[in-house]
Amino acid sequence: MTAHTLPAKTVPAVDDSRPARRRGNRSGWLFASPALLVLVALTVVPTLYLLVSSFRRVELFGGQSEFVGLSNFAAVLTDPEILSSLLATLVFVVVAVSLEMVLGLGLAIPLSAKVRGSGPAAALMLLPFAVAPAVSALLFRQLVNPNYGWVDHYLGALGVIPADLDWLGRPATAWLTVLGLDVWQWTPFVALILMAGLQSLSPEPLEAAAIDGASRWQAFRHVTLPMLTPFLGIALVLRTIQAVKTFDSFQVLTRGGPGDSTEIVNLAIYRVALQSFRIGAAAAVGLLLLVLLLALTPVLLRLVGRRGDNEEA
Amino acid sequence: MANRKISAWLGQFVLWAWLLVSLIPVVFMVVTSLKPPGVATSVPPSWSFRPTLDNYAKVLTGGGTGQAFAPLVLNSVIVTVGATILTMLLAVPAAYALSLREFRPRRFLSSWILSTYMFPPMVSVVPLFILAGNLGLFDTYPILIVPYAAINLPIAVWILRSSILQIPYALQEAAMLDGLSRWGILRRVLWPLLVPSVATAAILTAILSWNEFLLALSLTRQDAKTAPVGIMEFTGMFGTDWGLLTAASTVIVAPIVVLTLILRRRIVSGLTFGAVK
Repeated sequence: MTAHTLPAKTVPAVDDSRPARRRGNRSGWLFASPALLVLVALTVVPTLYLLVSSFRRVELFGGQSEFVGLSNFAAVLTDPEILSSLLATLVFVVVAVSLEMVLGLGLAIPLSAKVRGSGPAAALMLLPFAVAPAVSALLFRQLVNPNYGWVDHYLGALGVIPADLDWLGRPATAWLTVLGLDVWQWTPFVALILMAGLQSLSPEPLEAAAIDGASRWQAFRHVTLPMLTPFLGIALVLRTIQAVKTFDSFQVLTRGGPGDSTEIVNLAIYRVALQSFRIGAAAAVGLLLLVLLLALTPVLLRLVGRRGDNEEA
Repeated sequence: MANRKISAWLGQFVLWAWLLVSLIPVVFMVVTSLKPPGVATSVPPSWSFRPTLDNYAKVLTGGGTGQAFAPLVLNSVIVTVGATILTMLLAVPAAYALSLREFRPRRFLSSWILSTYMFPPMVSVVPLFILAGNLGLFDTYPILIVPYAAINLPIAVWILRSSILQIPYALQEAAMLDGLSRWGILRRVLWPLLVPSVATAAILTAILSWNEFLLALSLTRQDAKTAPVGIMEFTGMFGTDWGLLTAASTVIVAPIVVLTLILRRRIVSGLTFGAVK
């Protein structure tokens, strides 16, 4: 990580390699700059725009916008709907990702066993990932339809749920539905990362543990799990980032309802910005979200960046 | 030993139970799309019917109630192909630059590109919406293609960079001694070795662009509207035509399912930025 900050002098380079080094530097910039420009234009520039407009009252359709100081932030941080959307996001991310990690680990173990059918099983596993989230949310909405939905019909016939349960009509069951959708869509991703991890572990430590008389649980707890930690870390950080970015499934399935019980922060920004056109307030919320996510960046760089980097060492 | 066998068997049972249950939404989608009108929403759900492709014909041509779905699929294809080509044009040279030992900011820039994966697309929606309005780009292909490329660049650059780093550096040095330019090295030495990784990155970009919803919903209205947004119109205030809805869903999902099943391992590896092989 620190290599790029070392002054050139400390590199024991032969004199005549310096022009080549400088040329290498120049072609590096030349080759990298188109991608960097696009990325700056779509991340840094929007952030600056948010920063500026979060301190202003922005008039979209003509009219003058004016500097209003911190009043957008004050309005946002005292708005019960915005605060509850931040809380809803936190709860959603924690609950969904925990469920996916636990289920993913549980599925990865049989999935990594070398038995007949493990190939097709892994392929089938990834199927939910292929379904566009907007489409799967739409399908889930039909499945829990109280009049014709398969879930209501078959579970109702079995007596598991009361007949004609309106899943999306009550906060508790609406949450169950969006969580079910997220777990359905993303547990396979976790399971397949952990499966790859389990298959890459060397068998010797486990054999040694077995010879030492460790029970299966002890071997799993004290040998397999520690060796699997990097993979658990990668799955956890990637899923957390993706979960914070979730929009499609909520927008299609519940639209934040009933009431605003399932309104996560992305829906709140969307509503404030593109339906109420309170750009300054939306910018302030967006900025808050961005700051919260930035706190995760070092974790991403450590877990994912370093592993992707290890060939260079 | 018997204990071990039982728990292994139990594990397989749980695994297959999960797989079967998780297939339900897909089975629902495909089965319902083949039902003749009137049967789709029958109670109890009908399992004996004469399968028909009527729903597909109706959906694609707009013979039903709403607008034809085929133009939206075409928009999706154009946006996806455009975004994939643009992403690769940007990512291949960038990945090469970030693997150059003489390029001193390479580590910092690699980390920065990776960290843009954090950036929530929702945050860029408002600025893009206003920019699109000012530049007259609202509801056009470029207003989706360029942001899609930006969204996919971190993944694409990291996949490509990690596979360039696996190619022995001596190969590049030898080519340099033979008088090849940087561009020549990239094109003649590295490119042939990179084709599989380029394919992985391109397919991932294509999948994520094809499935994208938020920007397409916010930045298009009619002319550039993509299929995942258009499908929402099959569910309305006055009830939902399940046959049309599921046929349209199948049209969106089928190509991605095929790609995913063929390239499962590469897709998981790619989605973890090459951190999981």
